[in-house]
Amino acid sequence: MATPALPLARGRNTGRPRASMSAIERSRRRLFWPMLLPALILMALFYLIPIIYAGWLSLNEWDGINEMTFIGADNYVRLAKDPVFIGSVINTLKILFIVGIVTFVFAFALTMILRDMMGKKFVRSVLFFPTLINAMVFGIFAGFLFSPSGPVNKLLLLVGVQDPPKWLAQDNLFNMIMIVMIWSATGYFTTIIMSAVDQIPAYYYEAAGLDGAGPWAKFRHVTLPLAWDVISVCAVLWTMSSVKVFELILVFGGSTAKAPPTSTWSTALYVYQAAFGTGGDREFGISAASAIVSLLLVTVLTIGLRRMLRRENIEI
Amino acid sequence: MNHVITQPPLPTEHAKASLPPSKPARRRSSRKDRISPGGYVGRTVVWLLVAFNLFLLVWMAVTSLRDTRDIVRDPLGVPAVPYWENFANAWNTGGFGTAAINSVIATLVSSLLVVAISAPAAYVLAKSTRKISSSFTLLFVLGLGVPGQVLLVPVYIMMAKFQDISHLQMLNSVQGLIIVLVGLGIPFTVFLLAGFFRSLPVEIEEAAAIDGSSGLRTFVQIVLPLARSGLVTAFMLAVITGWNETLFSLVLLTTSENRTLPIALLAFLDQAQFNGADWGGLFAGIVMVVTPVLALFIWLGRRIVEGMTVGISK
Repeated sequence: MATPALPLARGRNTGRPRASMSAIERSRRRLFWPMLLPALILMALFYLIPIIYAGWLSLNEWDGINEMTFIGADNYVRLAKDPVFIGSVINTLKILFIVGIVTFVFAFALTMILRDMMGKKFVRSVLFFPTLINAMVFGIFAGFLFSPSGPVNKLLLLVGVQDPPKWLAQDNLFNMIMIVMIWSATGYFTTIIMSAVDQIPAYYYEAAGLDGAGPWAKFRHVTLPLAWDVISVCAVLWTMSSVKVFELILVFGGSTAKAPPTSTWSTALYVYQAAFGTGGDREFGISAASAIVSLLLVTVLTIGLRRMLRRENIEI
Repeated sequence: MNHVITQPPLPTEHAKASLPPSKPARRRSSRKDRISPGGYVGRTVVWLLVAFNLFLLVWMAVTSLRDTRDIVRDPLGVPAVPYWENFANAWNTGGFGTAAINSVIATLVSSLLVVAISAPAAYVLAKSTRKISSSFTLLFVLGLGVPGQVLLVPVYIMMAKFQDISHLQMLNSVQGLIIVLVGLGIPFTVFLLAGFFRSLPVEIEEAAAIDGSSGLRTFVQIVLPLARSGLVTAFMLAVITGWNETLFSLVLLTTSENRTLPIALLAFLDQAQFNGADWGGLFAGIVMVVTPVLALFIWLGRRIVEGMTVGISK
């Protein structure tokens, strides 16, 4: 609005050939690089270069001490044959899809329940809080609460359950991990989805109600389409965080702090164990290769999900 | 003032003119709707869940004040007299004292630095009309999606090499961890702050320019104070991330005098393998990990929640 008048307002700018560019614009241009560069350098140092370096490492065999030897794609071949690695990828996918879908269903159910409930802000805060805590804490809690002579079994005994499930047996461990994940992630996604649902004007629901829509129809034909954008963003967010899961699995069951049973490993655990694990050997090449696979995994899944969830934008 | 930031005056950029100027009546106004039986079940479940979460917090606090033998005998009991020795033991012999100090230093310094470096970058990216700035914005957004484990080994090796060249202690030092935390925190902080800067009205800077303020002065004296709530949010989120960081700390910090709290907690768990679990001390350590975050959340919860969600839903 005031922009065209600006060069005149500042005396020394009159007569410049490029009077079309405002003074702010010009000083902004001068500042562009000095202000951007520090962040950009860090970005290069901690993201770009490491990713390229990981790609290079993944083609080599190296323990960090002796000479690095180039071995081509051998690391990837080894990974493809390693049942522990395959297991870790499957676990990561389980986290992504099973935990993700259950969490979303819960988050939507909570959104619907909380919509016109007393004290919904308080409830939301209490459910949101676990997102902020180091997941290690929940791993330790679970290990304590569900230990064979722990509180949960004692309570079950009071109710008359003589033979409680072996919560922390190897076969059940990963399911327990997933349950804890669902519990701690639901609050976060409920909060995001609620803020999207709150934007939907009431008259849509009223109109749907006049047309005879029940709660489910309202959800299906009003809430879901209008909150779709946020849902697809949430799906991407969940994809990115599910590939990173580390702390919870590391300590789950409160057993050995540094090497949980391999059946529970996620890709993050695998990367860590290959390079710095208790095994002793530092296999940077294998670790880098598995890291690259998890990067590819997150890329492909994110793009795939975006495609799948793409839809025409609906203006409220 | 907060309202200037969190609720940008719409007409400037957002051409969503279809939005009615006055907010439509809230859906909730029709509370005459009867609550269905299903609704009652849902509400009960929600309140049970809330009760469970609150119980966990109280249980954690109570148990941290109990003698380990008592805890094992009756995990859900309440101490007759608070057993403060758990905290003394954890602080001194459990290594949580040094770890807490390291955690505080690493978290505060790295969070300040990451905001200080990200804010100018976010500002130029948000306001610049150059073509190249949108590709840089994309670069930072892509950085958000990179899982930490991809960077783990390369960053470790780079830190080791840098230590060899510079003779500065990078591995197994709090300063090394700080550098890594700053580097890793850049994409999210830039992304978050760019959103805040974008919502600032352009007119204020124009007014400053008319008054003859230079670009840098406008940024420092006018834009930054206006964006204060955004900066505080970014700082808080960096604090929470830094406080909880485990993967890189675990690799970078190896000796007890340099540990941060999560690593001390892991080391404590490890020891329990051999000496039997000191549950009292363990819970005291957990309280030290959880309480600062809980305090921040009670104090600035709204900002934390908005920072983690609002930017996303837009």
